[in-house]
Amino acid sequence: MPLDCGNRPRSFDASQMIHKGHPIEKGERRDTKEMTKKIKVLLSKLGLDVHNRGIITVAKMLRNAGMEVVYLGNALPEEIVSVAIQEDVDVVGVSSLGGAHLSLGSLLLKEAEDKGLKDRVAFLMGGVFAPSDGERLQEIGFDGVFLPGATSEQIVSGIKNLV
Amino acid sequence: MEKQMKRTKEILHEKLAGQPRTPLYSAEALASIRRTVDQWMNAVVRQTDRDNWHKTPHTVLGSDTPRELLYTPLSNPDLDYEQDLGNSGQAPFTRGIHANMYRGREFTMRQLTGFGSPEQTNERLRFMLDHGATGLNILFDLPTIQMYDSDDPFAVAQVGMSGVCVDSVEDMARLFKDVPLDEVTISIVTHYPSNTAILFPMFLALAEERGVPWEKLQGSVQNDITLEEVIRSGSEYIPPKDCFRIQCDNIEFIRRNVPRWNFITINGYNLREFGTSAVTEMAVAVSNGIGILDELVRRGYDVDATADRLAFFWSAANDFFEEIARIRAIRRLWYRIVKYRFNAQNPRAMLMRCHVQTSGVCLIQDEPRNNIIRSAYHALAAVLGGAQSLHVDSYDEAYSVPTEEAALLSLRTQQILQKETGVTDVADPLGGSFYVEALTRDIEARILDEVDEIERLGGYVKAIEDGEIYSKVASYFTEQQRLIERGEIALVGQNVYRSGAEGPAIDVFRYPEGVEEEQKARLQQLRLTRDSGKVRSALSALRDACLKGYNILPYSVACARARCTEGELFKVFKDAFGLWKPPALF
Repeated sequence: MPLDCGNRPRSFDASQMIHKGHPIEKGERRDTKEMTKKIKVLLSKLGLDVHNRGIITVAKMLRNAGMEVVYLGNALPEEIVSVAIQEDVDVVGVSSLGGAHLSLGSLLLKEAEDKGLKDRVAFLMGGVFAPSDGERLQEIGFDGVFLPGATSEQIVSGIKNLV
Repeated sequence: MEKQMKRTKEILHEKLAGQPRTPLYSAEALASIRRTVDQWMNAVVRQTDRDNWHKTPHTVLGSDTPRELLYTPLSNPDLDYEQDLGNSGQAPFTRGIHANMYRGREFTMRQLTGFGSPEQTNERLRFMLDHGATGLNILFDLPTIQMYDSDDPFAVAQVGMSGVCVDSVEDMARLFKDVPLDEVTISIVTHYPSNTAILFPMFLALAEERGVPWEKLQGSVQNDITLEEVIRSGSEYIPPKDCFRIQCDNIEFIRRNVPRWNFITINGYNLREFGTSAVTEMAVAVSNGIGILDELVRRGYDVDATADRLAFFWSAANDFFEEIARIRAIRRLWYRIVKYRFNAQNPRAMLMRCHVQTSGVCLIQDEPRNNIIRSAYHALAAVLGGAQSLHVDSYDEAYSVPTEEAALLSLRTQQILQKETGVTDVADPLGGSFYVEALTRDIEARILDEVDEIERLGGYVKAIEDGEIYSKVASYFTEQQRLIERGEIALVGQNVYRSGAEGPAIDVFRYPEGVEEEQKARLQQLRLTRDSGKVRSALSALRDACLKGYNILPYSVACARARCTEGELFKVFKDAFGLWKPPALF
């Protein structure tokens, strides 16, 4: 998939997105998925964060592990969720090294829940933040959280276990 | 590259080949050393060490330059003291840009500061000044860096994070409240040419309103195309050629109007941290520097009268001697380029002056206090290399921006180096080391080779447009990840000597809350109270200047005076230049 970080429409309404994260009940993952089908992953930089080395590394890692990767570039929660629906992905992975992991992360999960995606798709977060924030991200509903020391093996097997 | 038929490497090779050389070691001495070394090699050195005489160290952000087991005069038999080293403060400046180096002027302790609202950062600035910081270094939040106002939809939930938010000249005034603008040197980390052309005019308008003449201002901006078009991950980019033009507009305007201000800090650091080697970092920065001087000459400026305000910004990472050698190497190479390629006469225009920041990518989350040690070695390397100013990363930056305690520890690391270790008493203390001199030579040659690659691609802007710089970086950092996972790059506490135990709890900095709401309210107030007619005409004049090829800075200064916001100026740039789509990294 091409990298899209050019001029995209900015169609969301931020006022609808101010929301504090809360624990979200996990639903059933799609069990109809055939094991042979490629796992499809949407990766995105969350918000305006400028650091993309990590997510590019992960994108290559997942592709090498046989997954189909859609890299969205920088995007806000509404766009991430809308592309996830459109591309029918199994996993959404977002990257945040700019401090907005909790603030934008909770907006992302809220949007996913509102659009009925939260139960169907695994949500992952990677980036730089305190380990206690990693726990907090899982509390608010992220299915997996990866810190900078995570290896390819941990990330790939983590994803395989989720879908 | 139009008129310049010969590439930089060819010019340098020709000019240097024409210089008379007086090698330090006589043929007789070298022959005698050769006999001693051969004898030693056969009698003392084990076979396996002889077989592996050259070792290539794999380190975080290293250049994979091979090293000998032992360096002798044979490693660098042609070394010429005057041609290759000179004294400190003398050409080719390998040994430092000042004769008396740190005895004359201590390195500036310039710690990065920025978070939350302008008032909150102002408090931290004054805390650092009260504790002996000798310069300020301001970092902006992501919306400000990416040129969106705090109330832009793109800014949601990110205002005041990882830097301070500034939307207009009014915020600039809050940020520098009670800071004497004409007494402290201030580095404004504007990153991109575009936001330099927006934020620095706000600073100038503030100085004006405080009655401080621009001639008295001292400090620097970054203003680097590499940051805007290569390193940044963002949603909207203007085309590289327009970005390069803004970079040069900034330089031209500042040179003419703010004479003591460093108009560009050619930034190697962020490219390196993005993921590239010790050599590529410098090759890319030098290529940009060559492009800038070409453009200034094209605009009718004299290199002797402009290049003296050019500054560089380097990262200091894990390979200790490589870091020292490459700062020495780039000083010599930059001198040679400005002298021989641009035929400069003024020695000040040939100086590679630099700020060094210790590497953030080298910091590890596991056992975070180990980072204190890492950063201290990085800082020592920078000082042994002869840096002019220094920022030491804090150990908790593996998690977030530093707490006040950690920021103070970084400042103390610098003060200990300066006041306790004695390393600043002697200029270029490692000069003459067989190892350091050979490594300095090797790295200089490697940097020049990569500069040559970029010139063969058609120059720096072209290399960005074609995606060549991106693919070089992406393949480097992918390889680094592979080496780390295979344990070939050792990370203590992460992939070797892993304790597995819970590390000691450390305080992690928390961003203040409520900044976004506060900033939005201020913006709303500003939009209600400013003269909207003036705003409209200032923005429209700026747009005109963009389209007609005038230097845009006088117009953006007028916008700052009229209380235009950052987002409003960026919108003008986007409208005037259009948007560009960078090549895919993946």
